[in-house]
Amino acid sequence: MLKRIGVWAVLAILLVGGAAPAIHAQSGEGLRVLALESAQAPVEAWAAAFSEAGDVSVTVEYAPTSDAVLDRAAEANVLILDDVETEPAIAFDCGFVSRAYLPLPDLGARVVASNSCGGAMDPLDEAAVALATFMTGPDGQQIAIDLGLLPAVVEVVDQTGATVSVPQPVRRIASPYSVATYYVYGVGAGDRLVAAGYLGARDPVGADAMRRLDPNFETVMNAVSTLNQQEANIEELAALQPDLLLASARTDWLDAAGELGLPVIRFEGESPELLKSAMTLLGAALGPDAAHRAALFNTYYDETLAEILAQTQPIEPRTRVLFTGTNPLRVASGAMYQTTMIEAAGGESVSAELSGFWNDVNLEQVAIWNPDAIFYPPYGGANREAFTESAEWAIIPAVEAGRVYGLPKMSAPWDTPVPDSILGIIWMAETLYPDQVALDCASEAITFYNLFYDYAMSEDEAQELCQ
Amino acid sequence: MIRTLNRRLPGIWATAERRQSALFWLILLLPVPLAIYTIGLGRYAIPTEDVVRALVDYATVGENTSTQPDLAYNIVTRIRLPRIVAAMLIGANLAVTGTAFQGIFRNPLVDSNILGVTSGAGFGAALALLLLRSSFEVQMLAFVFGLVAVMLSYFTSRLYHTAPLLVLTLVGILVGSFFASLTSLLKYVADPLDTLPAITYWLMGGLTDVTRGDIPMLAAISFGGMIFLWGVRWRLNVLSMGDNEALALGLNPTRLKLMIIVCSTLMTAMAVSVGGVIGWVGLVIPHAARTLVGPDHQRLVPSTMALGAVFLLLIDTMSRTLLPAEVPLGVFTGVVGVPLLLVILRVNKTGWR
Repeated sequence: MLKRIGVWAVLAILLVGGAAPAIHAQSGEGLRVLALESAQAPVEAWAAAFSEAGDVSVTVEYAPTSDAVLDRAAEANVLILDDVETEPAIAFDCGFVSRAYLPLPDLGARVVASNSCGGAMDPLDEAAVALATFMTGPDGQQIAIDLGLLPAVVEVVDQTGATVSVPQPVRRIASPYSVATYYVYGVGAGDRLVAAGYLGARDPVGADAMRRLDPNFETVMNAVSTLNQQEANIEELAALQPDLLLASARTDWLDAAGELGLPVIRFEGESPELLKSAMTLLGAALGPDAAHRAALFNTYYDETLAEILAQTQPIEPRTRVLFTGTNPLRVASGAMYQTTMIEAAGGESVSAELSGFWNDVNLEQVAIWNPDAIFYPPYGGANREAFTESAEWAIIPAVEAGRVYGLPKMSAPWDTPVPDSILGIIWMAETLYPDQVALDCASEAITFYNLFYDYAMSEDEAQELCQ
Repeated sequence: MIRTLNRRLPGIWATAERRQSALFWLILLLPVPLAIYTIGLGRYAIPTEDVVRALVDYATVGENTSTQPDLAYNIVTRIRLPRIVAAMLIGANLAVTGTAFQGIFRNPLVDSNILGVTSGAGFGAALALLLLRSSFEVQMLAFVFGLVAVMLSYFTSRLYHTAPLLVLTLVGILVGSFFASLTSLLKYVADPLDTLPAITYWLMGGLTDVTRGDIPMLAAISFGGMIFLWGVRWRLNVLSMGDNEALALGLNPTRLKLMIIVCSTLMTAMAVSVGGVIGWVGLVIPHAARTLVGPDHQRLVPSTMALGAVFLLLIDTMSRTLLPAEVPLGVFTGVVGVPLLLVILRVNKTGWR
């Protein structure tokens, strides 16, 4: 179950090695699009606008049904069809069929990148991806709106229960709520961010990882001098002319931002259920492709979580875990996301009785809890030595046994309520029960970052990440 | 009528004097049994005989000789003992420097923070938490910036050639506010995910991180300072009457005040660098002590040391035993200290001197 989507994604995106010649000749004359007849109006408009904007000529041919399109898949660079689930069966020597892009709610596009041999992408394949991105992006969406195929305004109900009217398309997103920034990447709209907060991306490791996922992120992170939950430079923000503001329900300066007349979506985002509804909500606000990706994420999350739970929940006795914060004596309360993650991973949080946010405790309390294992987070200077090199912590059996583990982080720390946290649960389960669960953090990380960040993570990178 | 009063007055004075004298000795002795008692208290239940055995082992051979596992021994000697010692030293420190400052500034509303030492130390700690993060550097920078703030107050005030004490108070308040603003600036640029909470927690004070390694330096500066202040306790009486009286009695008030300020600043900076910002001790305890033993610094100085030690020891014991999660000390001292001060002000008939 868990692997089904994974294999799908790897198939879709990983390049198949080798240098055999392409199956069908392209000879550089331009992109060939094979589309469903019923989609003629938008496809023609998209193709015209796209070839006008770039130097690429686009030839469109039509077929009556999706099956017919699929039958002739090998002849085209881009397929446009209403059946987005079926993978075109093309026997490549090298090359790949991309994931489905969704320019309209019932219309998918797939790129047949058959010229991608020997590593670097062929310019024509790149142009094909660019066309698919164009159709699903704001420009393509605008064309569909002009044709009356998509609504000009979308209404969503945010997580505080407020109804928000979002004019379409959304081209420029400002996300002062760092967690929501990762929702945006998750629904494939990272390139629309103009200003955003990030989690732990100011330290070298975090910045390096984030740079790999989005080379442009530092510009976005520094676009507004002050932009966080407590404060924002509203004028600098206004100068960026965002179309949509993604905020936390606890953002302090929204009244002032409201004067700009911007649509604001507010998130609560501190539980798995809220994570999924946040993705759905954001997807609905950003157009059909984002909505499709949000649904994909939610399915992935549910299936992956079900797989984890099936393996971890029967385990007895449960490993008792202490989740510490930026200071070894600062521990996570029962209300925090980390506790939910530990429980999903088959552990039991010893500090679940505490309420609120992070709590300061003393070592005597830790001795009473007597955890079997200790987790520390990948931020705030938390490190293993703070436990293992301390004469005081040496009295705790878990430290003596060396069961002190630091959570990984990639784009964001895996213990924060971002989409990546599902990998954090897998990592926890694998760390707590190496012999009892058959979960592979590294391969799942490759799948995840391929699917939701369009990032091809190498095996080595994944292994290092999951250590 | 007058004759009656005259006859009774010595009697009243004698009774009050006897009562205050008895209280004075009681207060001086109080820290010892209390420390012994609180070492048996903690979240982790350890039978009294094990606590005693651990302490005896620690004092005699320095390691666990009983057949019991090391955990109890380690908790008593590595966690409770350093923390109790630190709480008492810091409490005594803050209380006695508060007394000294109230005496030399002849103002019942000041404590040792009047020259900005706490705000300076807070800034130093925030800077270290933002940039360096090791607990040694946090302590170091807190200590250094505590001293820097006071030096800044002192030398800036000398640029003005009017009423030195008043100017020093004013400049001290300004310097304190200046460093408080700088701390706000650091909090403003701190990462809300990690460094900001660390700074906020530090500024609220707490002794959860105290280990044996913190004790020698804290003890050296605290005892050194306390011995000095104990030595000048009579002179504090004179200073609290004003410069003219001091000069008339052959003292150099300016030099003496400077020495007391330097000493108190070192002590406060040390206390703050270990325990964070713990407010109200330096204000509440001197007033409490005056109510109990009278305004004479000969008794007031030792009493405030003992009472300060007892007060912070009790607060810290509550903080570490009542709930699984600790209440920040600076919050606790305020919540307990302010109502206490209000009661003292109501009861107190002896005046602040």
